[in-house]
Amino acid sequence: MQIVDFKFRNELIKEDFSLNYCYQCGTCSSTCPVAFITNGEYNPRKIIEQSLLGLKDLLIKEQSPNVWLCCTCQMCVEECPQNVFLTDIFESIKNRIVLLGEPYPETFKQQAKSVIENGLAIPLSQPIIRRRDQLELPNVEPVNIKEINKLLEATGFENKIKSQEAGK
Amino acid sequence: MSYNYFLGCVIPGRLPFLEASARKTFEKIGIKVGDQAKYSCCPDPTGVAQLDHETFLALGARNLCLFEESKKNILSLCSGCTETLKTVKHILDNDNEEKEKINSKLKVIGKNYKGTIDIKHFAEVLYENIDKIKEKIKKPLNDLKVAGHPGCHYLRPSEIINWDDPLNPKTLDELIDAIGADSVDYSLKNDCCGNPLEKSDKDISLNMLESKLKSMKEAGAECIVCVCPACYQQFDFNQREINKKKNSDYNFPVFYITELIAIALGIDSEKLGFNFHRIKVNDVLQKIS
Repeated sequence: MQIVDFKFRNELIKEDFSLNYCYQCGTCSSTCPVAFITNGEYNPRKIIEQSLLGLKDLLIKEQSPNVWLCCTCQMCVEECPQNVFLTDIFESIKNRIVLLGEPYPETFKQQAKSVIENGLAIPLSQPIIRRRDQLELPNVEPVNIKEINKLLEATGFENKIKSQEAGK
Repeated sequence: MSYNYFLGCVIPGRLPFLEASARKTFEKIGIKVGDQAKYSCCPDPTGVAQLDHETFLALGARNLCLFEESKKNILSLCSGCTETLKTVKHILDNDNEEKEKINSKLKVIGKNYKGTIDIKHFAEVLYENIDKIKEKIKKPLNDLKVAGHPGCHYLRPSEIINWDDPLNPKTLDELIDAIGADSVDYSLKNDCCGNPLEKSDKDISLNMLESKLKSMKEAGAECIVCVCPACYQQFDFNQREINKKKNSDYNFPVFYITELIAIALGIDSEKLGFNFHRIKVNDVLQKIS
């Protein structure tokens, strides 16, 4: 049985009021390339429906449909007749999954780790530095990692993404 | 106000030959672009943004502050970075409460976002200078059939990107046609290449790519052109993966639009690092030489 969580629903609406405008026409799902490829297993209309109903456990714990399968192409946002900003609402849901310590794909954690350690998603490796020389490309002065860490501390990034282990 | 490059992470760290083609192209058409020191990951609109919105805004705003201090607009070589930086600017410029909140975070590193600079995708600047490009063509790429892939973050969300038609884009095809090649129409032109889903589900990501490749093949394309390093990787690195899985024979050479423009402008192809492409481009280079 699913439990309606009004607080969850109201939080999502507060973060993006356009959620309220959805009348469930399904235009989003009909333009979604992932819905097409997965034969409707991934279904943006359903995620919005469950958000409006406040079905928190389905979205956050069971992740059904799996909100991480949004490819962020934003076709749905362009086509929605009610101007619902679907990808922003999906981002809110994903941010909550992370904060509440529910599972999410490993690759996201690896990218976050690299940003924390290097300030970059992809740091320069020795072979690439040689390749840059070969191509006569200038050196780009790297980011000051201490400054990045200070800023990330201020937003609490590491704690937010670490809550997965703490929550278990 | 002139531009400094925002190179992002993927291009300098993995695909520096794309950077070389962009630098040479802008130099050739007489647009001076400087270098910006000390920027971080934009951060990735399909990565860090999905983990924590506040961190996304703070890191993005710090990058914007660096360009404000240099008094330079941003010329971004990546569609993902462009979307991030334009989104952060859009939010902070339109929501005072959010701006104050992020500025209170930036204070710990002695920075303050004001909103004094603009952000452009490199293809946007090329398109603004399309007549200059046409004037300087030395070697038109006659009869080369090119499938242009505009990609998602180059166009959408249009409220923020505010540029080409988000559902019926024209600018990339016009750039392809401007250098004498033929932009081909194909049914899935506006679809995502599937790259962002590599993080969540590789199978779905590859199936999306396969649909696009099929549509390009049916339209008679000889090569693919893109304007984003994530799309470039998806097309150049993963055609072989699909062939292994599906027993198909996709073998489209993949170019950045600046690589083709550079050739058309007469820049020596030996200096463009075509040997670093996974799918060999020799047949196309021979055809247009």
